[in-house]
Amino acid sequence: MGARTSGIRQIGGAPGPRGGWAARKPLVLAAAVVVLALLPLYASDYGISVGILIFLYMSLGQMWNLLAGYSGLVSLGQQAFVGIGGYTLAMVTQAYHMSIALSFFIAAGVSLAFALVISFPIFKMSGVYFTVGTWIVSEALLVFFRNWAFVKYDAGYNITVAYRISMPALYLGALAVGLGATALVYFILRSRMGLALMAIRDDESAAEARGVRLYRTKLACFLISSVYTGITGVVLYLNITYVKPGAAFGIDWTVCMVFIVVIGGLGTIEGPVIGAVIYVILRQYTYNFPGISMIMLGVAAVAIIMLAPEGIMGAVHGRFGFRLFSTERRPPPGTGPRQYPEDAADV
Amino acid sequence: MSVENLAISFGSNQVLKSVNLELHAGETLGVIGPNGAGKTVMLNIMTGILKPDGGRLVFLGRDILKEGVVERVRMGLGRTFQIPRSFRNMTAYENSLVGAVFGSGLTERAAGARARDILDMIGLSGKKLEPAGKLGLLDRKRLEIGVALATGPRALLLDEAAGGLTESEVAEILGIVRKVKESGVGVIWIEHVLQTMLHGTDRVMLLAEGRDVICGRPRDVMSSREVEEAYLGAGVGARTRRKRA
Repeated sequence: MGARTSGIRQIGGAPGPRGGWAARKPLVLAAAVVVLALLPLYASDYGISVGILIFLYMSLGQMWNLLAGYSGLVSLGQQAFVGIGGYTLAMVTQAYHMSIALSFFIAAGVSLAFALVISFPIFKMSGVYFTVGTWIVSEALLVFFRNWAFVKYDAGYNITVAYRISMPALYLGALAVGLGATALVYFILRSRMGLALMAIRDDESAAEARGVRLYRTKLACFLISSVYTGITGVVLYLNITYVKPGAAFGIDWTVCMVFIVVIGGLGTIEGPVIGAVIYVILRQYTYNFPGISMIMLGVAAVAIIMLAPEGIMGAVHGRFGFRLFSTERRPPPGTGPRQYPEDAADV
Repeated sequence: MSVENLAISFGSNQVLKSVNLELHAGETLGVIGPNGAGKTVMLNIMTGILKPDGGRLVFLGRDILKEGVVERVRMGLGRTFQIPRSFRNMTAYENSLVGAVFGSGLTERAAGARARDILDMIGLSGKKLEPAGKLGLLDRKRLEIGVALATGPRALLLDEAAGGLTESEVAEILGIVRKVKESGVGVIWIEHVLQTMLHGTDRVMLLAEGRDVICGRPRDVMSSREVEEAYLGAGVGARTRRKRA
């Protein structure tokens, strides 16, 4: 009798633990967003500044993950777009005295144009050549900015308009950028392009053999990632308030992105979220150990990778099957098996 | 579909010298040959992965050798790989969906029904939400065929679809291929498993030393002198025939 009752429950579709969580997930996420948005009301200035960093690094991590984790484009040149964002903000607000809001649009446009131009040569490369190619391009951009009179060579800019922005306002901007990046990646993965990206992630040439256009999909991914990294660069430099070629176009930015994604979980949406939290907290802690802080970060990264080779979220998913942002597709309800000729007829 | 004088070399190694074949709708053509005969190379040329040095590949009335991999898939040339290359982190349904969406250009909604029905047809509907990486060999072989079918092929190229399977499992693959054939799809099936060639094909072609040596009814080809020589060498083949005589 008990077994029968249990069977009826299943057939009746009563929500099990998974169904219950799935139903409650939007509410839980919405509540989390509200709690995070209200953080300036109850957190100290230090807490808010840590929050700003977490969301900005989350955005950088999401965009690098979109490239490396889904389309197999391991770029070591994404710092170019951070620098473009920072310098666009500096030039628009300091040199031309225009609004900060305009900086976002111009940074997006310049990042898009630059990404398009460099995509022609670097997309002719693949694998490690692509990686080195992107690095060389960003290093070349660094040298160019150091020798460009228009941006005052290596002198850099104080971004004084940033002083007028309150910390809560900056926090909300960072929150929007960080959560926006996460939402963007989620919606991309839920789209047709996302289906192609997930196939490319698992086996690139098999994906092509099923009809996925590799070049077009990867290029779209590269452009989206570059534009959003450029926009993130604007907010980053509103926080940093001083832009200089060496720092703006330094590879440290991309090293952070790699760290965040690898420890969080390559090819997962949640990976950069958890990775950014760990990275920023570790950085805050290791500031107390000048000189060996990077060694400590490296040791932490090696330890995490040894314990969880697929990153923290990869391990969590493998062990518990848990995904906060599921992109899994479900088949439409069927009417039972049909014969193959019927399927083939409309091809 | 017809292949005419297909040739390819890798450096000084001429793998295919001149291969010719014809495939009709609803026909299954088996291709056999010793290891290194160039069977997979031939499939890779047909699907656009490799560029030949010469020859023609006429599909639906036009030479498609200049078309890219994706264009050939969308024209209706589906394939499976020798070692199943499913998207391991995606479910069986999503694997099938990839084929249906990108191979046949359907919207995701329309492709969903096809992907589901294909899984029913290949006997994987009970495992449609399992990650492909967790499926056993038979299921991965089935899925490999299913994903290729989801692209909506008019010709299906199978590369050792029954390799590594037990006899009863091979029978299941044979059942799927028969359904495909009955639907009017032409099948080229490279295989080492004798049972599949004898019971699952209409004609068998022997590929050896870069050429199509013999093609005909499965039983005739399998017992031919050419097959013995290709597999055992000319000397051994002759001795075997003398012994039989």
